[in-house]
Amino acid sequence: MQRATYGRSPPLHHPVPQHVSTVPQLRSPPPPTSQPIAGYDGSPYPQQQPQPPLPGANMFGQYGNFINDPAAQLASQFGQTAFRQGQEYIEQNVNRFVNVSALKHYFVVTNSYVINKLFLVLFPWRHKPWTRRQAAGPSGQEAWYLPPRDDINSPDMYIPVMSLVTYIFLQALISGLKGQFQPELFGYIATTALVAVVVEILGLKLGCYLLSVSNESQLLDLVAYSGYKFVGVIVTISIAEIVNGGKGTGGWIGWTVFIYTFLANSLFLMRSLKYVLLPENNSDSRGPMQTMHPLDSRTKRNQRTQFLFFYAYIVQLFFMWILCRS
Amino acid sequence: MSILGKLLYITVLLLNAICIPSEDRFLARVGLAPATYQRGFGQDVDSSVKYKIIQLIASVRTVMRVPLIIINTLIIIYELILG
Repeated sequence: MQRATYGRSPPLHHPVPQHVSTVPQLRSPPPPTSQPIAGYDGSPYPQQQPQPPLPGANMFGQYGNFINDPAAQLASQFGQTAFRQGQEYIEQNVNRFVNVSALKHYFVVTNSYVINKLFLVLFPWRHKPWTRRQAAGPSGQEAWYLPPRDDINSPDMYIPVMSLVTYIFLQALISGLKGQFQPELFGYIATTALVAVVVEILGLKLGCYLLSVSNESQLLDLVAYSGYKFVGVIVTISIAEIVNGGKGTGGWIGWTVFIYTFLANSLFLMRSLKYVLLPENNSDSRGPMQTMHPLDSRTKRNQRTQFLFFYAYIVQLFFMWILCRS
Repeated sequence: MSILGKLLYITVLLLNAICIPSEDRFLARVGLAPATYQRGFGQDVDSSVKYKIIQLIASVRTVMRVPLIIINTLIIIYELILG
């Protein structure tokens, strides 16, 4: 309004696209033109010819300010509300079964972490500190575990998920190289692998219940740790197939690689699961009313150690043998 | 049969194995009935493995008895017709 003093200025317009009316022509079938074939360049559509802007081509003139329409605003608000409510509904129902924010913690990985962790799973012999690092909160009271990006001993979900998928594809590829590929094979292999993981988790949870290991928040840790054996399985299968020339995972080289990866994986699990199954400050955290008998505590610790050994060596041996069979 | 069907059968058979034995004649004699459990001196209330097993068996028997009857009937009918 203050510019009115400069005289009669032309009315301000919105920037109106001038070539909008040419867009539907490009998508439509080519109209029968009388152009010579010499201009034909392989495309049935006419070239985008610069059309002179038509004087009445303001397509949005009629609908340009439809956003100011009260009915449109109402519809927009209604749509936003419905969308938000739907999102909340989905989040509630997903969060009831899977803790999504806790799951995101397991996917905070970097390239160097993945490479180091793979190296650690396959060569765990010389690794020294196995304890997970904790970060203190701002108040110094609470502490939580660092994400995998900052701590190599932290479990992640990225390597297990990727190695599971790789295992499925690798088995399908090998059977394809033998000429026995069928599409149902994907489902069969995936079911076998997932059933192995689920049965293993159930057995581990049963053992935790019997030994009264209280770990409500660490189920995802157990899922992650039970997926690391696919790395060893993949290495075993690929090396054995290459050496044996596609005749299965037999032979003494195949069995040697299998035993090596099995021992590496077992040592890795023994060291890593120690903090889950054998919490060190078990009797300290309890109140003075529930001080445990020292002998009782020692026998319980013994039982837990035996269970950890049983899980890391015998159960893993069974499942890795199941998975390595082809 | 697919692997999931096998898994279902394994689960149902294991549940049957927990639920079917008689409490008086079998479980009490083996020492797995909750009535016959005697705590040792100086032990925690619910810390021993045997007590946990007894609790697990008792709760599975309580919860799964009626559903197992239905599931067993369905599987028997299925096996008679299609097996």
